[in-house]
Order: sequence, then structure tokens, then C-alpha cells
Amino acid sequence: MKLTGPLERVLRVMMADPSAPHYGYDLMKAAKLASGTLYPMLARLQEDGLVDSEWEAQREDAGGRPPRKYYRLTAEGLRVARLELAQAAASAPARQAGYGATRPAPGSTP
Amino acid sequence: MSRAPLVQRVAEWLIRAACRRLPAEVRAEHCREWAAELPAILDDQSIRPPLRRALRALSFCAGISRTTRQLRRSARARRARNWRTGALPNRSPNLAVRAVLGFLTWLVVVLGFIAVIRARPGPPGWPVMLILVMAAGFDAFCLVDIARAAQVRYLPKWAWVLICLAQTPGGGIAYLSIGHIGRPRPVPPGDAKP
Repeated sequence: MKLTGPLERVLRVMMADPSAPHYGYDLMKAAKLASGTLYPMLARLQEDGLVDSEWEAQREDAGGRPPRKYYRLTAEGLRVARLELAQAAASAPARQAGYGATRPAPGSTP
Repeated sequence: MSRAPLVQRVAEWLIRAACRRLPAEVRAEHCREWAAELPAILDDQSIRPPLRRALRALSFCAGISRTTRQLRRSARARRARNWRTGALPNRSPNLAVRAVLGFLTWLVVVLGFIAVIRARPGPPGWPVMLILVMAAGFDAFCLVDIARAAQVRYLPKWAWVLICLAQTPGGGIAYLSIGHIGRPRPVPPGDAKP
């Protein structure tokens, strides 16, 4: 699995409370993603068994609102997400340092 | 449904249109999921004024359209991969056994044909005509089977058609033993592999 920026944001949102179910618009707002980015990602995560989904039970107080589909990390998903986020956190400062070091000093000729 | 605001109805229509790209077995569920998100967007009090909510709902639909296009692409890629590897969810493809059985069948047919020719030398008589009719019937059977199959293994359908036509008993036997997929076994629920 390649950890892209949007994927990292979704995983962070879901990791914040791994037992809490999220519906699509909730994730879109929390991770600041467009639906065209989020749903293909959820489909792939579900195919890989990292996320599973369930339909909300029809509630009396929903006011005629149709039931939503909720997503939640699986045990495997939680494990992978922890690992990936830890790796990203470990490599991010190193990457920034390396990038800064190779940048030419101000004033030097290109 | 008739009480739903106009924007919601337009958005639902857009989502249904986008979902037509999806395979029939997942279409209804996705359509239901995405349409159920619309009230949340249209009632989202953190977006003001209401016009911006309507625009947000429409841009949600545009994203759904991108999503279904991408899901269709990945479904096609998966199907292409299944062709090449012969991995299909229906029947365990015991390729070696099928190939050997097919070869033996072909051998019996060809040796039988040679035996008939040997037994009745001279100008071709009715046995040869009978064999030709049977061969044509067999070819037709294979072509109809390919045409009616939902999916064939290893090669695209047109390639199997060429193979069947190129060598009359052999191509058809190869198709039936290797490329043909039997009736799909009912997959037990919860055991569907991705």
C-alpha cells in the first residue's frame, strides 16, 4: 500500500477513534477530501480488507432520512494504519532535512 | 420523495446516472449509499448560505461521477488480469488434468477418423460425409457456446473463435477443456474473494 497524502488524512481521521463508525460525508469533511478522491479510496481499502462497512439501522428519530453506510477500520486495517503512519512520521523529518541540505545556498550560481 | 427539494432530486438523478457505469450487482448499493449522503450535505448548517450547500451537493455528484469512472476502470483491469491467469471465482481450474483429458479426446477422435478412412479406401463415401457433417455440427456447437458464455478463460472470446475454426476437432476440444467455464457454483455468502 502506498501512503499518499489523502490516504494518510483518512487514516488519521479513522485512527482518532478506531471504534467510531464514519459515513462518507463525515470523512469528506474531517479529512477535507472531495468525494471523487474519497470513495475510490474507500472501495480499495475495503477490497484489501482494511476497512469494512455496515448499513445504519433504520431509526425512528432519523426523520425519514435514508439509512447511511458507515465505515470502520478492521483489526488488520488498524494494524496497517498504525504501521504506515508511524513510518510516515519517522521518515518525514529525515526527508525534509535531506531536501533542505541539497538545496543550493542562496546567492550561489545555478 | 416528491417533497424533497429540487436540488436533492437533481443530485439524486445525477448519482443514478453515474451509477449506470457500475456492474449491475453493486449498482443499487452504491447508489443508495451516495444518495443517503445528500441530506447530510443539504442540512449541513456549517455551510452558509444555502446556495453554497446546493453547490456543495452538486460538486459531490461530480465526484461520484469520477468515482464510478474509476471503479469501472479498476473492474476492467481486474477482469483483464483474470483472463491472463485463468483465475476465476467459479471452478478450481485444474489446468493440467483438463489439458490431458482434452488431448486424449482429440487423439481418440483423430485415430477414429483415420481408422474409418483406412477401412473404406477409395472415393469418399457416406462415412466421410457423415464425419464432415458431425465436424460442422461440433464447430457450430463450440461457437454458440462461446457466444453465449458470460466469460471464457485465458483468452478473449475472439481468440477462442479463431482457434475453434483453425483446427476443427482440436480447437473446439481445446476450448471445451481449457477455455470453457462451467456453470458458476453458488458462492457461499461471506466467502466471496475480492
